Amino acid sequence: MSRIVDGVTRPAPITVEIDGAMIPAHPGETLAAAMVATEIYRMRDDRSGAPRGLLCNMGTCSECFVWIAMEDGWRRRRACLTPVEDGLRIATHEVPL
Amino acid sequence: MTHEVLIIGGGLLGCAAAWHLARAGLAPRLIEARGINAGASGQNAGSLHFQIERRFLEPGGTAHAQGGDIVRLNRLAIEEWAGLEDQLGRPLDIHMHGGLMLAENEADLALLSLKVARENELGLPTQLLSGAEARDLVPRLAPHICGAAWLAQEGHANPRILADAFADAAKSSGASIETQSRLLDLRRDGDHWQATIEQSGQIATARARHVILATGHWTARIAARMGLNIPLYLAPLMMSVTDRTAPFLPYLIQHVGKRLSMKQTDDGNMVIGGGWASAPQKMADGLPDLDAPPHLVPDNLRANLAVAAGVMPCLRGRSLIRSWTGMTCISADQLPIVGEVPAAPGLHVAAGGSMFTLGPLLARMLARSIIERAMPEEIALFSAARFAHLNAFVVPS
Repeated sequence: MSRIVDGVTRPAPITVEIDGAMIPAHPGETLAAAMVATEIYRMRDDRSGAPRGLLCNMGTCSECFVWIAMEDGWRRRRACLTPVEDGLRIATHEVPL
Repeated sequence: MTHEVLIIGGGLLGCAAAWHLARAGLAPRLIEARGINAGASGQNAGSLHFQIERRFLEPGGTAHAQGGDIVRLNRLAIEEWAGLEDQLGRPLDIHMHGGLMLAENEADLALLSLKVARENELGLPTQLLSGAEARDLVPRLAPHICGAAWLAQEGHANPRILADAFADAAKSSGASIETQSRLLDLRRDGDHWQATIEQSGQIATARARHVILATGHWTARIAARMGLNIPLYLAPLMMSVTDRTAPFLPYLIQHVGKRLSMKQTDDGNMVIGGGWASAPQKMADGLPDLDAPPHLVPDNLRANLAVAAGVMPCLRGRSLIRSWTGMTCISADQLPIVGEVPAAPGLHVAAGGSMFTLGPLLARMLARSIIERAMPEEIALFSAARFAHLNAFVVPS
């Protein structure tokens, strides 16, 4: 998936870190939007190890839970409800902080 | 069509009663307006609590006067749950590894001591633990927890699968179970009841000698349409679940002075509840809409989570992944109302408090009362007859 470019003006890009890789995002986007625009569709694994990703994109299905580094440790958040911020650190699987 | 028993409602109570009646050869018919387990039976937090409940210890509570009967029933419920997987022949996610009712201060501890003494006198083997002993069992309890009442048989079960297990077993034993099948009208017709039922747009009538209203929080309104007063009041609640964490809590956690239930699922999620209210949606006339899910009350959610994190500080590192609401009902004296309604012979009810923990046992007792044509003496305290005075001016219709 990619961003619509024609006729759209976006703020200058910022950077979020996903599983160690730096990806660009624009303020105002959700984390889910930035991830799929970078072709990261695997947002978590279920307990059998199968990949799960964005389904409803409105906070209902809980399929897009990722780990976000916060002051007090990793927190689960729905990527589709989380606005991007410069320097945000994301993991799609549980790793030591 | 004429049936010996028509059961209205496909929750835990109705499905379990259907199974017991079917095994006795009564071939009951069960109708459910939505789907099996769609109401409170599948919405509650799944606690198996057998200590005298916090709400009975509050001012006006009935623990003192009726404690003996409550404890006696809880002991029977323990046996019921312990035997369920064998009886139904399948795993049901039932965990009975013990439960702790916590005390956070001296006042809590005094109440807990009284409660344990009373329970022991009544034959329930609760034990009073010091704070240190409680932390030996659950090291992550907060350091200020100063005591706990321990009961080895408490625990939790999975509310999402139990009613279906009963429904399957009931069908195998000859019960007829119909979903999307709504009761439109119920009236007396000689020595039978006549029900008008809507199913897939078709309207049909059925006659039955006995009708069980296993309809949870809808019971009072259905009864009211028949002119009967059953004192059951709406209890809209909320429950929450956190993300998964490595297993550390095999026990049920409750609090003697605050509303709290907490347990960890097989997958590692923490389920948190304890009787915090949600807000029913309203109909045009201002009355609560019994068919719509209640709204979450953010202040109550925060308060519930604060109580949980207060006794288990590691929860502050967890993320809430979902909260949900559901409606149950509570009777005028907080005890379940079970059995035949004296003003309406052949009409049986079962609702009004602790219906997950007590449900399998009360369903068995209710079925027995129909099969044996007499109320089992174990549940005399819960008989609908105690509210017979409310129907003194009712003309049975």
